[in-house]
Formats: sequence, C-alpha cells, structure tokens
Amino acid sequence: MKRRTFLQLSGMTAAGALLAGCQSKNEKLIPFLVPPNEGVTPGLATWYASACRFCPAGCGILVRVSEGRAKKVEGNPLHPVNKGKLCARGQAILQELYHPDRVAQPLKRTGARGSGDFQRISWSEGLALLTGQLTALQRDKAADRLALLTPQLRGTLSELTTAFMGAFGSPYHLSFDLLAPDWLRRANRLNFSQASLPFYDLAETRYLLSFGADFVEYHLSPVQYSNAFGRMRQERDTVRGHFTYCGGRMSLTAASADRWLPARPGSEGALALAMARLILAEGLYDRDALPAGGLGAEALLKGLAAYDLHRVAELSGLGEGQIAEVAREFAATRPALAMAGEAVAFQTNGPEAVRAVQMLNLLAGNLNRPGGVYPDAGSPDGPENSFHELISLVERMQAGRIGVALVQGDPLHSIPPATGFPQALAKVPFVVSFSSLLDDTALQADLILPDHAALESWGDMIPLAGTREGVIGLMQPVVTPLFDTRQFPDVLLAVAHGLGGALAAALPRHSYQDMVKGALQKRVGRERGEGFEATWVELLRQGGLFGTSDNRDRGRMKGYRRVPGVSLPEPAQPHFAGDKQDFPLHLQVYPSIALYDGRGAPFPWLQQLPDPMTTVVWDSWVEINPQTAASLGISQGDLVEVTSPQGALRLPAVIYPAIRPDMVAIPLGQGHHGMGRYATGRGANPLALLATNIEGKDPQPAWNATRVRLTRISAKGELVTAGNTQGSFRSELIEM
Amino acid sequence: MKKTWLVGVLVVIMIGVVAAGLALVYFLPLDLRERSPLQPIDFSHKLHAGTNAIPCLFCHRSATRSPVAGIPAVADCRACHQFISPDAPEIRKLMGYWDRREPIPWVRGHALPDFVYFPHMMHIRAKLACSTCHGEVAAMERVTRTASLKMGWCLGCHRQHKASIDCWTCHI
Repeated sequence: MKRRTFLQLSGMTAAGALLAGCQSKNEKLIPFLVPPNEGVTPGLATWYASACRFCPAGCGILVRVSEGRAKKVEGNPLHPVNKGKLCARGQAILQELYHPDRVAQPLKRTGARGSGDFQRISWSEGLALLTGQLTALQRDKAADRLALLTPQLRGTLSELTTAFMGAFGSPYHLSFDLLAPDWLRRANRLNFSQASLPFYDLAETRYLLSFGADFVEYHLSPVQYSNAFGRMRQERDTVRGHFTYCGGRMSLTAASADRWLPARPGSEGALALAMARLILAEGLYDRDALPAGGLGAEALLKGLAAYDLHRVAELSGLGEGQIAEVAREFAATRPALAMAGEAVAFQTNGPEAVRAVQMLNLLAGNLNRPGGVYPDAGSPDGPENSFHELISLVERMQAGRIGVALVQGDPLHSIPPATGFPQALAKVPFVVSFSSLLDDTALQADLILPDHAALESWGDMIPLAGTREGVIGLMQPVVTPLFDTRQFPDVLLAVAHGLGGALAAALPRHSYQDMVKGALQKRVGRERGEGFEATWVELLRQGGLFGTSDNRDRGRMKGYRRVPGVSLPEPAQPHFAGDKQDFPLHLQVYPSIALYDGRGAPFPWLQQLPDPMTTVVWDSWVEINPQTAASLGISQGDLVEVTSPQGALRLPAVIYPAIRPDMVAIPLGQGHHGMGRYATGRGANPLALLATNIEGKDPQPAWNATRVRLTRISAKGELVTAGNTQGSFRSELIEM
Repeated sequence: MKKTWLVGVLVVIMIGVVAAGLALVYFLPLDLRERSPLQPIDFSHKLHAGTNAIPCLFCHRSATRSPVAGIPAVADCRACHQFISPDAPEIRKLMGYWDRREPIPWVRGHALPDFVYFPHMMHIRAKLACSTCHGEVAAMERVTRTASLKMGWCLGCHRQHKASIDCWTCHI
C-alpha cells in the first residue's frame, strides 16, 4: 500500500468513527406484557417503608420503587432510631437484591463438600429432603440431634425459631454473632440485675468518655449515635460537648474526639478505676448517687486502693497528669457519660473492664438522667453467654451427636476457626444453608434453601439499643421476588406443617407474614381494638409501630439501679495468647465500617468505599505504626506476613501513625471463600489468627487478646488506596 | 510575483475548506434518528385515533399523572383484538408476540436527551393538546415526528404561553 493511500484510508476511518460516535439512533420502547395489578404508573416512583436488617441496629428505610424495580434506599424520617438518616451499608442492601450470583432456586450438593458442585432442584424436592432428614431423627427418638445456628434474632423470628426447636425437642439453637453485645448484657446483669442494653443519651451529654466504643462505625446503633454525636457537638447554642477517646488504635470515632488516650490494650479497665479512685479521693463524685447505689465513699476508696494513679499510669503507658486531667474534667462536667466498647470488652479481662467503666457512670450520677444512661426498651433481655453455647455445641458436633444442622448466616466466615467450628461442622452429616449467595457455609452445605433478599421479605425488626421507647420496625417486600426463593421463616413453617404433630400445633399459622401481622395485632389490640386491617396498612405505610405508650412507661419504670452488695469490678492483668518474645505485637481486629463483620463483602458499592482512615479499597490490610514499621524495614504497601500462635496471613501494610507502636490492627470483613464474585478470594480474614484458649484457660471470646509478629515478604502488597495516607503526594516538597 | 499570488490563493482556499468543513459539521444532521421509524407491527394511528376516534388517553393512560405518557401493555392490545379483526395479518403478528410472551419492541419516534426533564402531566394539566407537540397523529398511518424537539422550539412555546424559562425548569 502506498503511503498516500494509507493516510487517506486512515483519515476516512477516523472521520467515520467520529461521526458514528456523535450520531444517535432510535431507542426502543418496551411495553409491559401484562400491566402489574398494583397501580404502577410508568415513570412515577412509589416509596415503600421497610426496615434494614443488615446490622442489628434495625434502622427504618424508605425504598424508591419504579415500575416494580427497587432503585434507591433512604432513611425513614419517622423512625425514632435513624430519623431519616442511613449509613452506607444500609444504602447497599439494594445490591443484595440484584446480586448477579444469587442462588436462584434450591440446590443439592453433588460433588465433595466445598467443591461448589450443586444440582438445581425444585422447592418440593428440597423441602422433602429436609423433612425426610427430620422425620428420620424423630423416628430414631433423636430429636436433640438437630441444631439450628442463626445470628441473634429478635421479635417474631426469634419466637418462631424458639417454638420450632422447642416443639421438635432439641435445645441446640445457637444464636451467635461475632460482635453480639453479650458482654454488655452480662455486665448489666451483674451490676443492675437486668440484662438490658444501655441507651446512651449522647445528644444531651456535655462530656463523653469512650473506652473503645466506636459508635460512629459499628457500636450498637451507629446511625443513631452518629446523629446524636453531631447534636452533642452542635445542637446547643452555648455548649459544645467534649469528647475523649481511650483506646490503642485511632478509629474514625477516635479521630472525631478532642483528645485521644492510646492506652495499652487490656489496661482500660484499670484506667477507668484509677479515674474513679481519683474522683472519690478528691470528692468530685455525685453526692446522691453513691447512697442510692448502696455505696459509701470511704469503703469504695478502700476497695479501689490497688488502682493508684502511679501504677495505672505505668500499666496503661499514659501520663499521670493526663489521666488525672481527664478524670477531673469528667467529674467536674455534668452530665458526663462513659461508654465501653468492643475493643475493651473482647480482652480476657473485658467483662470486668466494662463494669469498671460503668462505675464511672455511677460516680457521675448519670444513671437514668438526661445526658446519661437509660435501659434500652427494645431488647430487655437476650443471649448473655452465646460464646459458651457455641463451644458446647462445637463439642457436641465433634462428638458426632448432631445429625442435622440448619444454618442461617455465614458462621464459617464469622466464627474464629480456633474454636474448632469448621472441623465440627464437617462432622455433621447433613447441613442445610439458607444463604442467598454461595457463601463459605453454603459451599459446605448439603442442601441450600435460598432466602429472599431483605427487600423481598416480611418481618419485624426490633432495633438494638437505639431508643428509649419501644419500637417495632416492619419489613415488607417492596418488589416481587426476583427468583424462586423463599423466606427462611416460611421454610421453617412449611417444614413444621410437613412434619405435623406437635410442631404443626406449636406453629398454627402457615405464613410468616401472618405471624408478623398477628404479633402486631396483639401489640396494638389493647389500644385500638376493632378494625385491625386499616391499622395494619397504616403501620406498614409508616414503617412500623413507634413509641407506644405502654412501652414508654415500662422503660421509665425499670431504670438502672445498682444491686446493693455486688462486688467491685476487678479488671485483672490481661492475658494474651502468644509469647511476648516471639510475638511482640498486640493484634486488634475491628469491623470494617463498610463490610461490618463480612456481610457487606459481596456488595461492590461497599468494596469500593474507601476506608475513612486508610482510604484502602477492595482489600484488607494491616495497620502498623511508622516506628515499628521502620524497625522491621516495612514501608507502605509492602506485603507482610502476620504470624500468630494460631496461624499466618499475608497482607499489604498500611503505615498508620495513629496506632500504638506495640499494636497492629486488621479490619474484619474480607477473606471469603465464596459469597459471589466480588467477595471471593479477596483479602484475608484475620479471625484465622485469633486464639481462644488463652494461657491454658477456658475458651473465651477475647478477639483482641492475641499477639502476633510481622515479617516483610516483598514490596508487592498491591495495595490500592484512594488517597495518600502520608499526607499529599511528595508533600515534603512544599515549604510551609 | 506569480508564485506569491499562488500561495495566497492556496491559503485562502485552505481557510475556506476548513471553514466549510466546520460549517458542515455544524449543520450536518448528526441526529440520524428516523423521523418516521418502521415499527415491528404496522400499527395505524389513523385507524385507531382517526377513524375510530379513540381518545389518546385511552391507551397512553399515564400522561395525566406521570412524566411519561405510557404505551399500552401487550395484554391491553390483545384484550380488544381477541374480538376485533383477529385474523388480520398484523393482528396475527401481535398475537405471536403474546404467545411467545414477548413485549413488542416499538421504536421510539419522540425522544429527548437524558438531561432534559419533560413531564407529560404538567403539559396536559396546562390544557395543551397532544397534537401541539406530536402533530396530527390521528391522520398518520405511521407516526411521524413533526416537531424538531430542540431547545429553541421548547422555549418558543414556553415564552408564548408565559411558562417558566428558568434553566432549572427542564434541566434538573
């Protein structure tokens, strides 16, 4: 070809491409085949109220639905917990509905466990399989060989599962969540003889002292507390509430504080008691509060003698002056509020440390007062010892005494393997999963009966620790189910009626929707009497039952009152797994703000949400103090191996100035073996590093009590960040 | 002398060519959308809206309350044509779509870019006749776009009717 022809031809091609790119073609207008019968107007959106079940906070949501498709999720302004606000995780539940890897119909395992070879079966076949297994158990008089594993459930779903297991005759219903607030319930049971969760009146307080409670990210009811924190800072004209955060790693919550006390891990309880002692010694405590709690200042001071400032300063690695200053400020400001969080509770001395923090609240006299702590009305009681139930169930499974396990959720990912759970589950002959994605647990299951997405489900959602008034949020399906799935409770009901007998008698209703409606009718029946149908529609329209008067009264009547004669908290020296010589660094695992404990990992919106502190996307990482990193020759983005007595993981390093030099931190949430294309094989699950038998003691949920060491592997950590955590790029070139 | 003239003329011609090219790109109908696209079924608006005088809103029923006028569902077409000339060839095509459970892929004749918000219901409420924008559809066998649907055309009508010409009225 001649040069000239070539140039001519390429010029013409370019011009053609340019014109083709600019021109537009006629689009298609696709009508409905059959118009939907629910009064759908094309082009006009309908908003449905529902509730979010992503985390236990249970915020109210409004979902915009256009032509039968859910398009956008917003907070419900009427809902007392989130007041129209919603977090990123709540926004992302749309992607649960439209996930491309959803299990579209029941599956039966054909290959080896974990191979992912499944065969599609019909619902009648799937239900027959399950019913057959359960009938076999009944026939062999071995009803207690059935186990049900769920997250901690509340409301009608909890009643249903309890009735189901009770009528079947098996006591092995495990309600376990990695982050469940059992520790708070236990502390409250001991101190106040009621296992309710606290509601902190953050908005009204003037001095907030948080011991590892990351309430902006995930602690109890994050949307409610983030909102209340904003009001504490900015709502009042003359007061801007002060906030001190105490904990070894600077979380997003800590970064919002006025002062950060990076105490040594495990020393927070002692620190709280040292503050309490100082407040007592200087007579700064609330005069009425001590006698009301059955305490005398003199005796209390004697009881806390071990926690003198000098010793605790050494223990915590903080300055004496610093501790004393915070203690005096806390005591001198009224109302002042102390919170304890997961970073403290998941230590070996956690339960006592939490009680120590509550002691500060008692001294400040803020129990049942504005700006203080109230019992939460939503969950007056709940599991207090689910970890020990888990351990005993694991033993039973290991011994081969569980024949059928029904699993809702993904415990294989969210239970530390050190408990022996994976091996125990492998010993169960028949495992049923209800996951809507092929997650780690579903991959090991023999039968998968896929659940609806949250936006296709009925339900009632009682918010956890988010309000003082009784609230029942209602979930309603906002779209027609996309696939041939069924709701988990409806499957249980179908099985119960298939088995008949005592089970069918215990669960007379045939659909979960009817059960929820019946439960609500019972609640409002006393107030409104006749014509429940109209009330029901109205309740669905506004998103639930908010603040009924009988609930309000109950919340007021049962305030916190210290049990007289209860022992003083004694946060002993913390224990750690791993020898100090071999494993010099404390490991903290914390829920990622986007992925929570891992249930957000399948949603690309959450994967690409930069972590607010490190800006990392689509990965997990280990945070290392610059000083520690320099001594080990590690720089930002290097691949490092984190080794604990329990195992080893390889992760990219993030050089993080806001963490103690003797600590490293890894976020939870990644490291799935399954759960769809966006989560599979991404990052690492730090739970694999955790030990549960610490220094030969009984297993305990001490997720932050493992020590690790770091080894640099290579420079190729392949870390992707949205920004430069070390400040702006080459900022040393800019002269100030 | 002659050479300089030649160069001068060449420069002028080149400038002219570039200007003509630019003008061509400017005036060229880059919008190659059919004004009267062929439809999968030879639906006659003249027969329905003209001869039989069926009101527009009988089929485009969401025009009074939604930004979009809506096109009838396949089930709606079928509902009448089960009884009305069911043996005509075009109706057989329609029934074919119904039997295959396929929606009819109509081709859009009137389209606005995504950055324009055009609500049908507001124009109906302002008592504008459908034909103001869509032309005398009742006389067309196949729908043909009569309006340019360009911004100047919108503004002309808005000015004439003293409707808002604020940017945010349409570009929201």
